[in-house]
Amino acid sequence: MTGSHPAGDLKSLAEKFVRFGLACGADEVEIGIGDDIEFGVDVRVGEIENLVEAGTRSMGVRIIKDQKTAFAGSSDLSPETIERLIRNAVRRAELANRDACAGLPETFSSAVDPAELDLYDSEIAVLDPQTKIALATETERIALSDPRIINSHGASCDTHVGHAVLANSKGFLGEYRKTYAGLNVSLQAGETDDLVEDFWFSSKTHLAELAPPEEIARTAVARTVRQLKPRKVETQRVPVIFEPMMTGSLLGFLFGCLTGTAVYQKSTFLAERLGERIGREKITVIDDGLLPRRLGSSPFDSEGVPSRRTPVVENGVLKTFLCNTYAARKIGLATTGNADGAGVGPSNFYLQPGKSTPGEIIRSTRKGLYLIRTLGHGLNPVTGDISQGAFGLWIENGEFVYPVSEITISGNLGDLLMNIEMIGDDLTFDGSVCGPTIKVAEMQIAGRS
Amino acid sequence: MTIFEDRFHLGPVDFVAVLKTALSRGGDFAELFFEYRLHSSIMMEEDIIKETAESVGLGLGVRVWAGEQTGYGYTNDLSPERMKKAARSAAAIALSASAPGPVADLVPRPPLSGLYPVLEPAESADLNRKIGLVKDAYASCLRVSPSIKKVKAGWGDLVQHVTIVNSEGLLVSDVRPMVKLTCVAIAEKGPVREYGFSGGGGRVGLEAFAAGRTPAVIGREAAEEALLLLEAADAPAGEMPVVLAAGDAGVLIHEAVGHLLEADFHRKKTSIFWNKMGARVGSELVTIYDDPTIPASRGSYAVDDEGTEPRRTLLIENGVVSGLLTDKLSAKILGRPLTGHGRRQDYSEIPIPRMANTYIAAGPHDPEEIVKSVNRGFYARRLTGGQVEDSGKFTFSVSLGYLIENGRLTRPVKQATLIGTNIDILNQICMAGTDLEFGQQTGTCGKEGQHVPVNDGCPTLKIASMTVGGRG
Repeated sequence: MTGSHPAGDLKSLAEKFVRFGLACGADEVEIGIGDDIEFGVDVRVGEIENLVEAGTRSMGVRIIKDQKTAFAGSSDLSPETIERLIRNAVRRAELANRDACAGLPETFSSAVDPAELDLYDSEIAVLDPQTKIALATETERIALSDPRIINSHGASCDTHVGHAVLANSKGFLGEYRKTYAGLNVSLQAGETDDLVEDFWFSSKTHLAELAPPEEIARTAVARTVRQLKPRKVETQRVPVIFEPMMTGSLLGFLFGCLTGTAVYQKSTFLAERLGERIGREKITVIDDGLLPRRLGSSPFDSEGVPSRRTPVVENGVLKTFLCNTYAARKIGLATTGNADGAGVGPSNFYLQPGKSTPGEIIRSTRKGLYLIRTLGHGLNPVTGDISQGAFGLWIENGEFVYPVSEITISGNLGDLLMNIEMIGDDLTFDGSVCGPTIKVAEMQIAGRS
Repeated sequence: MTIFEDRFHLGPVDFVAVLKTALSRGGDFAELFFEYRLHSSIMMEEDIIKETAESVGLGLGVRVWAGEQTGYGYTNDLSPERMKKAARSAAAIALSASAPGPVADLVPRPPLSGLYPVLEPAESADLNRKIGLVKDAYASCLRVSPSIKKVKAGWGDLVQHVTIVNSEGLLVSDVRPMVKLTCVAIAEKGPVREYGFSGGGGRVGLEAFAAGRTPAVIGREAAEEALLLLEAADAPAGEMPVVLAAGDAGVLIHEAVGHLLEADFHRKKTSIFWNKMGARVGSELVTIYDDPTIPASRGSYAVDDEGTEPRRTLLIENGVVSGLLTDKLSAKILGRPLTGHGRRQDYSEIPIPRMANTYIAAGPHDPEEIVKSVNRGFYARRLTGGQVEDSGKFTFSVSLGYLIENGRLTRPVKQATLIGTNIDILNQICMAGTDLEFGQQTGTCGKEGQHVPVNDGCPTLKIASMTVGGRG
């Protein structure tokens, strides 16, 4: 065995291994191949700290035999290794139990044209390292020129050029290319024993849409220094305003509670709520894999199911759960094209923006917390319970009065959805799960006694 | 013979050739990290073995230093051309004007021995044996009560082969085993549903499940936690005395102290501890170690991911900062000793200082007396994780706790995040038990996107006052 990768195009390679799996006795075979080129530079206090460049390939295999499933994966694409893994998988499938829901998706007559999604930017693919180093260096230089910033965790510029290929024994064969560029900086301000920190970033599929260094640096500085000299407020119940990044992490939690997998496993508090009102009328949550140039878009999911736009919550009513083929069969729904590896993942999953400006939302609040950061993992999808460390700005009479830290917020996602009073108009896409500013009528804060 | 020699026919001649390419543009130091990992998993739910999986991870990471700057390239194609291409990517950090860096003759060195007491290696065990363990945990969980409505039991085993070579002449290899058996239970009572978790494993073989934390114990514990939570009230909100149960609560030490004594945060002066070497930051009761050489423990390794022999490292002695966890780069820059804490998630990542098995030493107090000393407070029984930032603000999440009333544990309470600032909390540790215990051997720590296995330990601890973030 040499450990070297075979030459030739990835589509024929995938098809070849599908045929090999069938020849080994599998009823159904799925082969996915990823080919990625990565570049990253970390700059800290004006000097390059790390410069990373690499090209890698990986392969995923699914074998079905007698309605029994086995998976395999490898970053060693030598034919000897892949063929051994496929043979092992066919043998291992025998040891699993028969499962009527197992198997590849049905075939789809329609397909999404990758060109229409515009996910590949040739400018990123040919961007030279010096330009990327300059972007990171410039972002950090501008941020550090502010006298209130005392230290930097560094600035990074990362690019990815990805090529995904999928083939299966039902005749599916697809491929697409996707690019990514990200720029970020992370800062510290304050006295030695009273430090505050924050960061800002931009990440896009196209270089032209990436925020410029000036904008990222200024935003990171403003986000950091606004936390200086925080107070710890008293334990109380108040309205909480989530800024967009916080709404995004709340939506990430909601996504986990809305997958078909969580429903059949009974690991979501929303399992029995299909067709019911779970939030206020103004709440509409959409999963959309077809938005051009968005990070969460793709022509097909990891099973080859065409991507689509799925309203998940419409005017407060739970319309569907997000599924791969297996979860859909388990709960009697149709796949929504959200297969992600062996599980279920978001496309572009977002809360539809409302009409209020963030300023109007803040001014509407007599007393409350403007949430800017959380710390910790206290999110329980089985119950919907939330309990996290929190950092924010205190609001009195519609204005920020001082920063707060070392408090916790707690509540329940189910209650929270029924208590979203206002939704902002400020939705932007810098990731695959995002939302605008929202105002929740009341949450428990723990702080001073 | 290592797997890289045996399967890929790579030896010292090939290593030196790649190292020379890595230093061809100058540079002070070059290193090769070869990795081959074989992972196998089993998942059982809804009374059936639903799927099995096997994966291979193969790759080479090449690192070059030019002063304090790092160049890094990696590949998962071990052909001579691809390895040299990765070496040239790493070499890009150095100035092409300077002379090639020196490559010393390679001197093979053995790793520490005795850390992986494996009798029945998972790698070569029959899959049916492992399926049997999963089924035992599943059945044990389900039979605890009819209120247990869903069970998910999972097995994972990993063997990681590494060979580390550098331009200083180092050549060392390690074969690291790991197993993990976990069980999740969902219990229902009317409209209320709760979740329980338990697990076990470590750098051991299948024989470890024959006694102690057997599949039956793991299954039962998951069920019992879910059932207890069905009866639990909401956790209180506000500042109060907190008692941490022995074992699980080691995550507090991991977050509040361990991360902030990782030397990269000192080199960068971002940790609140960077200027506190030799300074008092906590009560006399606080003595903390990190020890990568505890046999069988999940966080242990016979050689770190830079080829350094690991050693037990004193971090805090009686409340005074005494040591740092270093990797080669931070040790060099700070002039600190190498402790063998340079770790990486896999060949595609640059090593950074990381914890292994972190624990607070046992104290003088009887655990029962600690609970008795609290009039009204919070007892943290099961912890599920935490997070810290460099400023010292940290949280940890408690999935199951109890109220302490008049020196006794009374009602179970659920889901609370506790938050504090590390120096403040370390000063408030006012009692430490004699009962040092380690966690369940299922922990994973994430830093800068890299995940590595760790373990934590602690005795029963009392914190005079801390903010508890329940729903009130």
